[in-house]
Amino acid sequence: MQHIDPDHHDGTSDATPGGEPDKRRPGELVFALVMLLASLFLLNSAYGIAGFDALSSPGAIPMATTAAMVLSAAVILWNTAKLPLDRTESLIKDILPLTVVMFALFLVAFGVLLKPLGFLPTSALFLIAAIKILGKRSWGWTVGIAVFSLVVVWLIFRIVFTVLMPAGIVPEAELIQFFRNVFAGGAQ
Amino acid sequence: METLMHFLTVFSDPQLLLLVGLGTFAGVYVGAIPGLSVTMAVSILISFTFSWDVYPAISLMIGIYMGGVYGGSRTAILLNIPGAPSAIATALDGYPMAKRGEAGTAIGVTTVMSFIGGFIGIGVLALAAPFVSDFALKFQPRDYMLLAILGILLVGSLSQGSLVKGIFAGALGIAIGAVGRDPLTFAERFTFDFRLMEGGISFIAVMIGMFGVSEALLQLHHVDKDAVRQKITRIVPSLATVKKHLPLSVQTSTIGVTIGALPGTGGDIAALMAYDHAKRVTKNPDREFGDGAMEGLVAPETANNAAVGGAFIPMMTLGIPGDAVTAIMIGALFIHGLNPGPMLMIDQPDMFWFIVGCLVMANCFMLLFGLTGIKLFTKIVEMPRSVLIPLIMLLSIVGAFAVNNSITDVYWMLGFGVFGYFMRHYGYPLGPVILGVILSRLLDDNWRRAIISEREDLGNFFAGVFGSPLSTVLLIAVVLIFVSQTPVWAWGKSRIFAKKENT
Repeated sequence: MQHIDPDHHDGTSDATPGGEPDKRRPGELVFALVMLLASLFLLNSAYGIAGFDALSSPGAIPMATTAAMVLSAAVILWNTAKLPLDRTESLIKDILPLTVVMFALFLVAFGVLLKPLGFLPTSALFLIAAIKILGKRSWGWTVGIAVFSLVVVWLIFRIVFTVLMPAGIVPEAELIQFFRNVFAGGAQ
Repeated sequence: METLMHFLTVFSDPQLLLLVGLGTFAGVYVGAIPGLSVTMAVSILISFTFSWDVYPAISLMIGIYMGGVYGGSRTAILLNIPGAPSAIATALDGYPMAKRGEAGTAIGVTTVMSFIGGFIGIGVLALAAPFVSDFALKFQPRDYMLLAILGILLVGSLSQGSLVKGIFAGALGIAIGAVGRDPLTFAERFTFDFRLMEGGISFIAVMIGMFGVSEALLQLHHVDKDAVRQKITRIVPSLATVKKHLPLSVQTSTIGVTIGALPGTGGDIAALMAYDHAKRVTKNPDREFGDGAMEGLVAPETANNAAVGGAFIPMMTLGIPGDAVTAIMIGALFIHGLNPGPMLMIDQPDMFWFIVGCLVMANCFMLLFGLTGIKLFTKIVEMPRSVLIPLIMLLSIVGAFAVNNSITDVYWMLGFGVFGYFMRHYGYPLGPVILGVILSRLLDDNWRRAIISEREDLGNFFAGVFGSPLSTVLLIAVVLIFVSQTPVWAWGKSRIFAKKENT
């Protein structure tokens, strides 16, 4: 039999993985089960909207879709259970490596800190930590790249797209006004 | 005359022209860098451009769309890594050509063919859309409902993964779209008595999570992989090469437009079907398919760019997206207070002709950027993933926050990002989820309109369906997709073919 590299994600974008078609990936069965339970819960909740009141009730489409979810989730669970487990893969290595868990937590921390600390400091912390961990390069390189890309991102989105991010502890508006005054002063 | 004026809007306004050019340029790179997809870029962009006027916003997005569909071919040829799903078929023959040292020729042919395909797609859009929208005025609510279901099913059944998983994903999308207060009766749906869910889940948060964060998390698996360098020589292809492949390119463009125009299906499927077609009609290829046949490049690349024009047909005329990117564009038009559908074509024909103009412009820019700047290109594609991934994550957070200035949206986005990550791992397609979210409202409204007009009687409803040829065809198509995936179909097929062999 042809041996297939267990690391068969080839890095393409939307068209990525799914494992080998005739094998079950680690954790796939649990995921399918969770999907079925969640669908059942949603079906119950959809029934609670209006029950079998009328075909045109606000609950009609939600009930139909959640019923479709329950049915398809059940079929998926059944199909998945029939497949043999892929022994070349492990949950820790292929599905949920430590880096992925860590970055998910990083993102949550980003969300928590965004309001109190402000966009610029939070992003700087995030970028420096993330690039240091992934790139494994010197601190100078890491901080340089992080700060440079943050400045580019900030300039594009604050100035060009005029997106307002929480300022937090950095007096962003005052800073911009200061530079405006400087430039305006220079023009006069 | 007025039509021509609207069509020329984009050509006469330097600002719009610049935006289309910028978009196309960015699109080529976004499409080419594995891990950045057009869907991701456009969904993040919506949140940044929603404070703009509608014209500049649309110009930028169309540029990115057109450039991105083409850009995926670059890395497919050079690295054997399709930068976008629509370039999967391109890698089959493009990479062997690059290995032989013909990367320049491959890129040149791809660019010119994408240009030709793109124009055929736009031409069909410009000619067909007005007729389709006239026809669409006769559509009953039930037809819209059936079309929406058909679109979600088509994308589920034709994309990778099984149809059951596609159905699950589509239904999930519709359910997500239904969260919040029902706009007709104000009843709460799936809110679980949380006040913050009454307004529904921002579809932009869902999109950015599913296409941005989940992709970035997935890319963490490949941080250490290095890019491979290729030498690139002459790019501009000879006229003889282009002439030789013109007949094939017209055929595959037609396939591309048709597949693109089907609701839900886009460039990725069009490219694969065109590749298959080329394999069947090319009698004596200079080289075998899979071994670097030029035809194997021409077919998918004309088809996926032709599909862009095609995908706009159902979007502009029916308000039903032709693929994931047009689904997001419909969202963008909603945000700008426009409601795509037959009425938009009648009330604001300027919008339609403006979009056609943008597409033409983007297509020209694509040719320009495709045949130049190859040195810069290799530099940018080699950007290390250790920098790229954190940047995608940062942009996703900014994007999710920017729409409503709400942290809640950021959490929704993160939740859907993690969820999408698992869905990708276990082979659930993400396209149907987005289509479901976008079409949820349309499906719900039209079902209720249809059934109320039949006085809540299912018998009358089906009598109506079978009384109209259009509804009947749509219903049969929906049923056929279901049946084709069940054992009954395989059993029936084996029976019929067995009989043929016996006689």
